[in-house]
Amino acid sequence: MKLRAVGLVLLAAALQAETLDACRQMDRKGRPAEAARCYQALVSARDPFVRAEALFALGRYAEANDQYRQAVAAAPKNPDYRAAWGRLYLDREQKQDAVDLFNEALSLQPDHAGALLGLALAASEGFDQMAEQLALRALAANPKLTEARVLLARMALEDGNAEKARAEADKALSIDPELLEALSIKAAADWLEDRTDSPSLRQALRLNPVYGEIYAVIARFLVLNRRYEEGVELYRKALELNPRLYKARAELGLNLLRLGQAEEARRHLEACYRAGETYPAVGNPLRLLDTYGDFRYFRRGNFILKLHQKEADLLLPYFEEEIARALAAYEERYRLRLDRPVQVEVYPNHEDFAVRVLGMPGMPALGVTFVNVIAMDSPTSRKPGEFHWASTLWHELSHVFTLAATRQRMPRWFTEGLAVRDETAVSPDWGDRISPAVVLALRDKKLLPIAELDRGFVHPSDPEQVVVSYFQAGRACTFIEKTWGFQKLLDMIHAFGKLKSTPEVIREQLGMEPEEFDRRFMAWVSEENKTTVAGFEEWKKGMRRLSELVKARDYEGIVREAPAVRDLYPEFVEDGNAYTVLADAYLARGEPQKAAAELERYARAGGRNPETLKLLAKLKEDLGRPQEAVEVLKRINYIYPRDEEVHQRLGELLLAAGDARGAIREFQALVAMRPIDEAAARYNLARAYRLAGKNEEAREQVLSALEAAPGYRPAQKLLLELSQSKEGNP
Amino acid sequence: MRLLQLLLALALSVNAASHYVTVAGLGGEPDYEQRFSAWARSIDQVLRQSQIGGKVHLLIGSDATREKLRARLEEAAADCGPADAFVLMLVGHGSFDGVDYKFNLPGPDISASELAGYLNRIRAARQLVAVMTSSSGGAIEALRRENRILVTATKSGTEKNATIFARYWADALRDPSSDTDKNQAITVLEAFRYASQKTAAFYESQKRLATEHPLIEDTGRGEGVRNPSPEEGSGRLAAVFTLLRFGAAQQQANDPAKRKLFERKEELEQQIDALKYQKAAMRSDEYKKQLTALLLELARTEEELEK
Repeated sequence: MKLRAVGLVLLAAALQAETLDACRQMDRKGRPAEAARCYQALVSARDPFVRAEALFALGRYAEANDQYRQAVAAAPKNPDYRAAWGRLYLDREQKQDAVDLFNEALSLQPDHAGALLGLALAASEGFDQMAEQLALRALAANPKLTEARVLLARMALEDGNAEKARAEADKALSIDPELLEALSIKAAADWLEDRTDSPSLRQALRLNPVYGEIYAVIARFLVLNRRYEEGVELYRKALELNPRLYKARAELGLNLLRLGQAEEARRHLEACYRAGETYPAVGNPLRLLDTYGDFRYFRRGNFILKLHQKEADLLLPYFEEEIARALAAYEERYRLRLDRPVQVEVYPNHEDFAVRVLGMPGMPALGVTFVNVIAMDSPTSRKPGEFHWASTLWHELSHVFTLAATRQRMPRWFTEGLAVRDETAVSPDWGDRISPAVVLALRDKKLLPIAELDRGFVHPSDPEQVVVSYFQAGRACTFIEKTWGFQKLLDMIHAFGKLKSTPEVIREQLGMEPEEFDRRFMAWVSEENKTTVAGFEEWKKGMRRLSELVKARDYEGIVREAPAVRDLYPEFVEDGNAYTVLADAYLARGEPQKAAAELERYARAGGRNPETLKLLAKLKEDLGRPQEAVEVLKRINYIYPRDEEVHQRLGELLLAAGDARGAIREFQALVAMRPIDEAAARYNLARAYRLAGKNEEAREQVLSALEAAPGYRPAQKLLLELSQSKEGNP
Repeated sequence: MRLLQLLLALALSVNAASHYVTVAGLGGEPDYEQRFSAWARSIDQVLRQSQIGGKVHLLIGSDATREKLRARLEEAAADCGPADAFVLMLVGHGSFDGVDYKFNLPGPDISASELAGYLNRIRAARQLVAVMTSSSGGAIEALRRENRILVTATKSGTEKNATIFARYWADALRDPSSDTDKNQAITVLEAFRYASQKTAAFYESQKRLATEHPLIEDTGRGEGVRNPSPEEGSGRLAAVFTLLRFGAAQQQANDPAKRKLFERKEELEQQIDALKYQKAAMRSDEYKKQLTALLLELARTEEELEK
């Protein structure tokens, strides 16, 4: 009896497993209503695992979660159940919970293919290089695990390796010729090569006429390759075929948001939210959209500037001047006039900027470009001196031009390289300095071959590799310019625009194999940095020694030893750098001129600490060099314009030099900051207007100053003066 | 309008004697000891150098005990008359147990309710108590009283982190930019606004969540506010309580030859203040016209005073 009962249970389970597969087949064949009925029937199955899988497929996630829990409780040693449960969490974007379950499955069975695949999928979401190893381990455990093959294919295509992507997809198709996911990857590879009439796409839609997911997969790759507008069109197509593809709808919403199409973005994201897709990548952008009313838009000729109302008056003059300057420079440099205005959006809250870009907080970037829309951190979103907003702006605007020139078909390394080169072309102290991570990469010969440099951005082996890749890409472009001239860079842009690969362009334009390019470039960049690379360990020892001398207040020792340490690594301008240590020592010894010279070196080397630069400006003023002090203070405005003291001092110096326009700008900035001493700020603005001959504006300001401080003597005198002018008296 | 005139009269009578007590409490760690002492010394020094007159006391280090503080408060109770002003400034750490606030001192601490007992015996009609410590918001209920201004570094007793408000309060007394109405006098309101704004700016620039939110309370109702608005009732006493003076204003008041001009100047300032209170109810062009006329006359009067 017992045996028979057990047999019946096993038979029932086998039948239900078959039925689950049957439901899945209906789905894959494009019969969603039938599939839904099939799954619905399994919701009341005896086996909690079957119920869980059916509920998951029906999108009833909370209930599915409960059933998985029951299944695991009933069979705690069964790794399959945990691995499957983990896939639910992965789908719901609760990655850590998913990873925990996969690891639990592996502790029960170390080579569990499903769990390994789950970990690989989780790792791949963060573009973690571990994903490939995990996928290969899954395949070693189960060579027929087509999903792992598809993952490898996907990652290869993310790296720009279409050949490998197709090969992996074909391996999966050799096991299951109707595998829609593998056909999707092949279709994406075709589409990236502008072969939109893809046979793989046609085949997939023959198998499943409502397989909208294929368009969503292609769209994701287009977006990854910065072809956002094309991606948006394909997300729309995906939803036409299957309106219930909420992930695709959320991605459409996010990409519309990236392109500045806020209203439509909101509609799609709200639809996701109403359907119960409330995970952060949906909720965060919606919350951000709710704050859009706090921003002001400024339309100027060929650009639109979006600033938060709390800092619009302060930042507007600086940003609009710099955008205009950059656009004019790039139009000339790239011989290209854009076909639509550029929109620059500036976010005072870094996490809002991250949500704007990724849908999620926690992104380290400073600025991102989406076709003709730039989103970037405001200088006030970071600690003073943390980044150079003007440099970032020029960097992103460079992307707008170079990507427009190639209809968004440029490899990542090249557009980043040009942008890095363009930043430093404005002024040598702009752009990022060579960091210790870069020095180590040079020392350890860890630069990537040029043909693989995209990987350094998309699938970095560690976060530092991204920094190194930016450096390498920038220097590569500079190397090409110095060796072959700037025209060669333009020629390469046009070649990439025809979808040629990096090796093809190197061969065609530079007349050599990529390997030869790598040899020559490595020799050049090593020579350029040989002192720092060779002296790195000595520099570190030197810095430790300086730190001891500072603690001991041994100024003699600092003056004696710091210059050599500084010269080993002149690009190091971070906190504790040798320049400021030496300058402090000179000041302690009563040698302000030497201190000023040292801080001037610091500034030219790219030093950005506003307090240090303010000190330099003061020293220059004290030494009777006001024009130089002006240049230093102007530099600070490019880094951190929210400094009352800078605007005050710069305004005064400009007034004294007779630069009324500059003085007006500085005192307007000061007034916009609503300083504590508003009366003085408005009085100074009045003086600047007076100098410019704008007496009416001067009068307005001096009245405002006196309204705040009626007894303010200097303002009273100015008011009398202006009144006499008005009356026609001299 | 009458209240305004009364307040202004009180402000003008600040030539009566003032009694200042600054205390640097227990720091615990050397870093805090050094900071608290430095800030307290800075406050003490600027008061001594200003033209405010009156008695200025500093309790610091081993002198900053409960007994010595009590002694100073008792001395003020004996010295001060109703026309005088009394100022107590506490710099350091504080604590709040849900019931009472305590200011940390070497040896036994002193509670807010105990301080209130001593302060209530001081007959000075105008008092300022600036409790610039952690948890200082917890002291408001015990210390509140009519005609007593309270300044706290935190909004409640539960803001327990060490505070930096006192640093900017000390700066306010030294930085001419805190004198926002340019009358060469720094009032409690001006010092509070300066220190409060600078404190907020510090946390903002460091991208840190602010762990202190200064309050001012001068209505006697125990309702501390972060952004006082004399036009709406909060900060009125603070607006006319002068902490210190600098510059020529004091000398002009004392010169008999210029007394009439000085009185005319003060009349004009009062008219301007009165006009500003009516601004919201006036047409803007009319307001501007009247304001301009008063300001011009004031400017000419000042010019005469300078001759």
